[in-house]
Amino acid sequence: MATIELIDLKKNYGAIPAVKGVDLSVADGEFIVLVGPSGCGKSTLLRMVAGLESVTSGRIEIGGRDVVKAEPAERDIAMVFQNYALYPHMTVRKNLEYGLRNRRVKNEEITRRVQEAAAMLEIGPMLDRKPRELSGGQRQRVAMGRALVREPAAFLFDEPLSNLDAKLRVQMRVEIRRLQRRLKTTSLYVTHDQLEAMTLADRLVVMNGGLVEQVGTPVEVYERPATVFVAGFIGSPPMNLIDLDYLRAQSAGTDLALPNGTDLVGIRPDDMVLIGPVEPSIALKATVELLEPVGGESHLHIRLAGSNQLAIVRVPGRPSFVEGSEISVFARIGDLHPYNRASGNRTD
Amino acid sequence: MQGKRTVFPNKVLPYLLLLPQLAVTIVFFLWPAAQAFWSSFQREDAFGFKTTFVWFANYTKLFADPVYLNSFRTTVIFSLAVSLLSLGIALLLAVAATRMLRSSRIYSTLIVWPYAVAPAIAGILWWFLFNPSIGIIAYVLRRFGIDWNHLVDPNDAMILVVIAATWKQISYNFLFFMAGLQSIPHSLEEAAAIDGAGPTKRFWTIIFPLLSPTTFYLMVINVVYAMFDTFGVIHATTEGGPARATEILVYKVYFDGFVGLNLGSSAAQSVILMAIVIGLTVVQFRWVERRVQY
Amino acid sequence: MVENRPLLNFLSHLLLILGVAVVVFPVYVAFIASTHGPNDFLSGVVPLWPGPHLLENYSQMLTTGLSSSGAPPLLPMMWNSLIMAVGVAVGKISISILSAFAIVYFRFPFRTLAFWMIFITLMLPVEVRIVPTFQVVASLGMLNNYGGLIVPLIASATATFLFRQFFLTVPDELMEAARVDGAGPLKFFWDILLPLSRTNIAALFIILFVLGWNQYLWPLLITTDPHLYTVVMGIKRMAAVADAEPRWNIVMAAVMLAALPPVLVIVAMQRLFVKGLTETEK
Repeated sequence: MATIELIDLKKNYGAIPAVKGVDLSVADGEFIVLVGPSGCGKSTLLRMVAGLESVTSGRIEIGGRDVVKAEPAERDIAMVFQNYALYPHMTVRKNLEYGLRNRRVKNEEITRRVQEAAAMLEIGPMLDRKPRELSGGQRQRVAMGRALVREPAAFLFDEPLSNLDAKLRVQMRVEIRRLQRRLKTTSLYVTHDQLEAMTLADRLVVMNGGLVEQVGTPVEVYERPATVFVAGFIGSPPMNLIDLDYLRAQSAGTDLALPNGTDLVGIRPDDMVLIGPVEPSIALKATVELLEPVGGESHLHIRLAGSNQLAIVRVPGRPSFVEGSEISVFARIGDLHPYNRASGNRTD
Repeated sequence: MQGKRTVFPNKVLPYLLLLPQLAVTIVFFLWPAAQAFWSSFQREDAFGFKTTFVWFANYTKLFADPVYLNSFRTTVIFSLAVSLLSLGIALLLAVAATRMLRSSRIYSTLIVWPYAVAPAIAGILWWFLFNPSIGIIAYVLRRFGIDWNHLVDPNDAMILVVIAATWKQISYNFLFFMAGLQSIPHSLEEAAAIDGAGPTKRFWTIIFPLLSPTTFYLMVINVVYAMFDTFGVIHATTEGGPARATEILVYKVYFDGFVGLNLGSSAAQSVILMAIVIGLTVVQFRWVERRVQY
Repeated sequence: MVENRPLLNFLSHLLLILGVAVVVFPVYVAFIASTHGPNDFLSGVVPLWPGPHLLENYSQMLTTGLSSSGAPPLLPMMWNSLIMAVGVAVGKISISILSAFAIVYFRFPFRTLAFWMIFITLMLPVEVRIVPTFQVVASLGMLNNYGGLIVPLIASATATFLFRQFFLTVPDELMEAARVDGAGPLKFFWDILLPLSRTNIAALFIILFVLGWNQYLWPLLITTDPHLYTVVMGIKRMAAVADAEPRWNIVMAAVMLAALPPVLVIVAMQRLFVKGLTETEK
């Protein structure tokens, strides 16, 4: 059990900065997910916390102790790797025991912890098998087990589910969340999958280009994306971003009630509707370009009238639209997200 | 140079790990090579009391010496004969063996084992077969009216060492040709068959060109083998004779250095041989690079 | 095989049988010769069927040898060869695996230089530096002992490259996981890397054992004491006198004995050997 503090953490590879100064306070027992596109520095950040990458400048404190100079083994962390990194020549049991033996944990204690972890992850019957005899999902569980038995101050997960197929991924996601709730171990979890991020996190850290764009609960991040980048990255399909000038021209006379400095407006596809609401709203004319049915709902790709601006509207069911037909879409004034294009920040 | 994403932070340990290898390399490889280089510019008088620095005199003398030039010629003939013969026979056998579905493994085992026979022993085996007074092959040849005597006839002696050196090398080439042939996708041959090419045509237009990287690699390796590893064949049988007919360069370095005690000349010969090996190694690795780009 | 061509199949078999015959013939004749008495050759040709003297010839070679040749009996010479072969193989593997570990898993000044120094040994076979190497060994007092026979031969670029190549294919995460699990470099090497290299080590051992057993020039230079003769170089001394004396029968017994151990190793471990050979050298 520990807190993790990152203070102005930086990492350069030669002259190329990978992490450009990150500050983050992780509370004891909190589940933090680092999310962002590939190359955003999230993995590097995690590996710095693990001690697998050197720190260019800044501080890392785990449980109040500065660990920048400490070896990975001295940081009291356990890590789950994307490719699991199980020792191929050792049985599952030996894999679980290895870290404990290196730490000279007593035999009875090792047996107890291995049994406990095996029960928790339902890998008891596989303890005497080698990793190559296991399925992908089972290997993933063993990798988790190896972290679990250590009873560390913090778990570090480096895209642990991305080598699994879609169905198993959902199942393991739920399981990881359940385990973490139960053990209350501080966790840092890296993923590029926003659905994973949204469902797992106590708090999300959205990263881009080596910097933190926003820190907040999944609901906060979804409802109030702090930057244009976050607005475009979180949410699927992504938020529509429309020039304020265009909106003004189309909705002449309506008070948009946007703060000064706004020149770009975001509207979630869910917030665009085909029937004018009672609340104050804007109306936009558009041409249907494509209707994409995705099961219980459909994504309507439209082109806004008199512009090249494309947008997506999420509609329930499978409405029948002829491609090329003219329609009107509406959005409540209250659902508009105001941004400044130059700074990339939210203006309200 | 390639390494791992993360490395261990120890500063001294890697040097300790490298120490044994580098110590052996420096003491027994680099230092003697430098010595050879240095003494190739010196001449020692007959009693070993005095050495004088003679610049390139040892080299110019060598290249003016018909005996040395003859040894060069002998080496070229010997190496080419051994390389071409062993490659040709091995390729023939490998092609035949890959045609076999079930028996190819048995044939391989039967062909491969001479790899483990020392060159010197290979030499003695054939020396015995061709022995003019009791050898069975010499006996058969006599029946055909050929009076074989490798103790007297330079050509007979050369043929003998070529056969012995070739016999040992077939196994190695065979293994590599087998590996090369097995790595050619079967579908290519099937496509060519559908296009109407018969077995012979398929071999020359599809298999042989695709096998050329293996063939080239083996050519270099075989030349190196014939030039250096066959010392045992020569030393155990003809000892360079008769009349220096089988005196290849490596044998001459040894003979001049150890028996003739002409250290300056032997050192110069060593340096020339080093240049040849370096040249061959460069050729081989240039080719590896090219193959990687493929 | 694409289509079924009986004639081609027949020719292939014929060719292979012929090839096998050529490969086996010298050894067959040598074996036959080694089973006869000394006088069976005087007729001018070697017999083609085994004679009755097999045990007698072999036991004589193993225990008393050919006294007039100045070479000791086969048994001690084979023992020397065994020590040399195992010594060379173990030595090369040990120092090469350590060097490869240093080069792949650490970053330090002169790393590339070290790599190139090891590479250069490829270009300097014993044969091209005979005299100066002999002088170095002599000045270190290593003539006529096992150290002199083995140590100068154990630098190995090929073995180092093989291990380096293999280590590069070992996933990075394995080392990272081991570090998180509290293993230092040596523990990681011993607990993880070494067990993973088992197959490579075994394959390499076979090749290096054969290489060590078959050394000829080096023991010829280093040993003047018959007690240290290795069997491959010792046989040459016997063959030299065999022409003077009609003792080809027991010389061939010696040849069979000298060739047998490495051949047995290769035939018994054919799969590993082929893997080792084609992977080391390519």
